[in-house]
Amino acid sequence: MRLFFTFLATLMLAGTAAAQHHNHGKPSAAPEAFTATPAFGPDGTLWLVRATADKIAVVKSTDLGKTFSEPVAVTPEPMNLDWGPDARARIAVDPKGGVIVTFAIFQDKNFNGRAFFARSKDNGASFTPPRPITADKTSQRFETVAVDPSSGRFFATWLDKRNGAKARAAGKPYPGAALAFAWEDGDADFGKTEIALDNTCECCRLGVAFAGPGRPAVVFRNIFPGSVRDHAVVTFKDATTPGPLRRVSADDWKIEACPHHGPTIAIAPDGSYHVAWFTDAPSRKGLFYARADNGNVPFGAPRALSSPNRQPARPYLLSDGQALHLVWKEFDGTKSVVRWQVSRDSGRQWTDARTIAETADASDHPLLVAHGGHAYLSWLTKVEGYRLIPLENQP
Amino acid sequence: MSKAAILALLLALGLVGNVHAADPQPFERGSWSKLMAAHEGQPTIVHLWGLTCAPCLTELPHWANLQKERPDMRLVLLAADPVPQPPVRVEEMLTRTGLGKTESWSFADRFNERLRYEIDPSWSGELPRTLMIDREGKVTTLPGVADLAEVRTWLDRQRKR
Repeated sequence: MRLFFTFLATLMLAGTAAAQHHNHGKPSAAPEAFTATPAFGPDGTLWLVRATADKIAVVKSTDLGKTFSEPVAVTPEPMNLDWGPDARARIAVDPKGGVIVTFAIFQDKNFNGRAFFARSKDNGASFTPPRPITADKTSQRFETVAVDPSSGRFFATWLDKRNGAKARAAGKPYPGAALAFAWEDGDADFGKTEIALDNTCECCRLGVAFAGPGRPAVVFRNIFPGSVRDHAVVTFKDATTPGPLRRVSADDWKIEACPHHGPTIAIAPDGSYHVAWFTDAPSRKGLFYARADNGNVPFGAPRALSSPNRQPARPYLLSDGQALHLVWKEFDGTKSVVRWQVSRDSGRQWTDARTIAETADASDHPLLVAHGGHAYLSWLTKVEGYRLIPLENQP
Repeated sequence: MSKAAILALLLALGLVGNVHAADPQPFERGSWSKLMAAHEGQPTIVHLWGLTCAPCLTELPHWANLQKERPDMRLVLLAADPVPQPPVRVEEMLTRTGLGKTESWSFADRFNERLRYEIDPSWSGELPRTLMIDREGKVTTLPGVADLAEVRTWLDRQRKR
């Protein structure tokens, strides 16, 4: 009987601990969004959109991240935010200082999403109520917003499941999702949604860069025949005409699942393309980088960024006008570290990888952001909080 | 205290029902070595799956069937979602699949790099994944949806030894 009561007491304690867990909203109780995404405004203000549990808020800093303004709510009430490991709220600032935020929620337990946007015309003092980015309600996720530097127009692209639902209703198979896009159309809204391409992988983040005026280039994990989930780039011929699919590399990663691990792209002023990605194919495992001289030629041979047993992950590329920067995350057995390489000759030669930040607990993806020819690492970690770290010149 | 009184107490505490359909054990830093120590010297299959992994959910019933067919199989289920899921939902899924009584763990730390490293430094987190661990601790890894014929062959080999 005494044993039984010990058992009972243990159960009760465990029950109390579980209840506390719930009350404090710890990650083990319910999945939560934990991201910070940066953008510089034309005046050098650093804007940051934070997704925390069930809320989205924007803060800004005029001293390069040392201090931040009070948060301004983007979501007026709690929402069931997409907490997927490759999802994040995004922010972009146009040349006039107009701010846009995009984010997605889960509509149901099957991970069908709904992408929203909200805008600010008063320098971030307030945001419009979030509105859906597209009228179709099937599912949108991994929305990404970018500013066309030539026109200042916002371009949004995302993974959309409308064609999958239509195909299934007609009894046809439809693997994955579609790459959808829309352009800002006036102050209020996004214009018509167009589908650039069907049958992309359905849960990896997208990367966007601009190849020229009104010509976005989108990198994504595609589904090639045989459920091979390798990467491809589509460069727009003009604002509404997606060009042909260009494969980045033939890793031949055949997988029936979604890796939750999307690519990154940068286009340098000389027109060269730069892509980094994750793969776990039998013959090629880990993170890789490849370049192409321009938008019409094949990508060169992939270069491994790290040893696969260091869990290399979440690459990010940025051209700051003078140099190309590449960062990614690795795990050294105790800590997650951010590794950094820079190239000053259009990605032909790179400096040795160097650790520029580390943390001993959970962390967001490392991101890069630049203003006035200076590039910075933007990284949210559980222990240290948000950090903006200048990428100093290397010898 | 009579049995009836104990039962009444348990009912009052809302514990009846929870005793059998136990939540998955929280898989935290150090849990892997505990799990390995608990099964040391016994051929054990650790199946890594996730609530957020669609092919995993399709595969789970096959493991339930194999468990019935092969009572000699020591199976451990580990939900390794990259963002930890509510334990109650993990348990619901396993109960619905007929695996509610199988030893079960669930990632309970957002620092999943650390948890994955303890299990296998070269595992980048892809699910599903099956680890077959023999008496000597030698691990045979089946990435992706497991070929159950291969699992049966492995089980047969463990029995003969």
